[in-house]
Amino acid sequence: MSLAHRRPLWQFCPAHCIQLFLHFVGVLVLLDLHTHSIKSDDGRAKVENYCQWIRSKNLPLDGFVLTEHRQFDNESDYSALAEKFDLCILKASEVETEYGHVLVYGVTPALQEAFDFASIALPLAKVIEACNAHGAVAVPCHPGRPRVGMFAHTDELGVPEGVNIVEIYNGGSRDQEDQIAIDNATRLNYQGVGGSDSHIVSHVGRCATRFDDQIESMDDLVAALKAGKFEAVSLKGTV
Amino acid sequence: MGMIVDQDIAEARDQFLNQDFDEKTFVIPAEKTIEYARLCGETAARFLDPAHPDFQAPPTFVASLSGSRALPENFPRFGLGMDAGKGVECFLPVRPGTTITGRTHLHDIYSKTGRSGRMVFAVSRIEFFDAAGQHLANADSRVVMREKS
Repeated sequence: MSLAHRRPLWQFCPAHCIQLFLHFVGVLVLLDLHTHSIKSDDGRAKVENYCQWIRSKNLPLDGFVLTEHRQFDNESDYSALAEKFDLCILKASEVETEYGHVLVYGVTPALQEAFDFASIALPLAKVIEACNAHGAVAVPCHPGRPRVGMFAHTDELGVPEGVNIVEIYNGGSRDQEDQIAIDNATRLNYQGVGGSDSHIVSHVGRCATRFDDQIESMDDLVAALKAGKFEAVSLKGTV
Repeated sequence: MGMIVDQDIAEARDQFLNQDFDEKTFVIPAEKTIEYARLCGETAARFLDPAHPDFQAPPTFVASLSGSRALPENFPRFGLGMDAGKGVECFLPVRPGTTITGRTHLHDIYSKTGRSGRMVFAVSRIEFFDAAGQHLANADSRVVMREKS
């Protein structure tokens, strides 16, 4: 997967210039780690339309991760789209806990047996324990958001054990939600990722995560997250 | 929000899902389906011309038909209900000039959490059958109830 995507230089928009700049300073891969397709009950974006949008708008993304609400999409195979559009398309999940919503990367059949993905009342400790047992990574998302963000609950419930990464840039954040996430992540020494939380195609890529290593599979992504070799990026206002 | 429970959703699913709670017959006048098609911007003759050999109602027409009640009797009031969208599945054409029967059941009940707290979704499905008992279409109506906080 090439950052330049075999396009002549004169076709690059400002967002692509950002990508090229990131490339020259050592970035290999930029992924949107938080997107929803029509597989989610509130998603209005078809995966093919995400791909078309990314390419037609020359967005500086190398791929995206589908994090469908309260489920893991076992059915869909996006490998043909990934090849056609030269994008990395991965599948994960967004589950709901007493600390708010949590992205789960590295979902396996065994992990799906470990807890009920459809529940809105999962204990975060159980989700983290199961993720650790099955080689997955749990990442509380939009943690600065009222009600469904982790830091809205830490005063009442305490700081949960086992969290290492939180989403500090979320494309759907309002007001100070991202800043609350950043401040608390800094205070608690968490690493941060970024994702657009897009439900419609035009929101994809608003936030993303850059990785120093090549990411071509969920195993690669999980390994990079566990290794801490990434950085959250906000592209709001540029894409 | 504190601790969330979804035991009530599980109980509602056990009690109400997949049980017909309404049955209603619908006469399908050609002038009504043609007007519906025209308002939708349809241009295909099979939706607009009664003389067309495959004259039929537009596929989404069934979404305009509603049963006698939207939710079962005694369905718990989780909060204020609002329309959360419609969906249609078509299996066979609905022919104008015929009478069809709609039987309604709750197809799904689920919840999710958001900035405003817990929301409960109920999906009522009307299954439409012709006089011969052939399953023509399904029309889903989704209601969201924002929980009183």
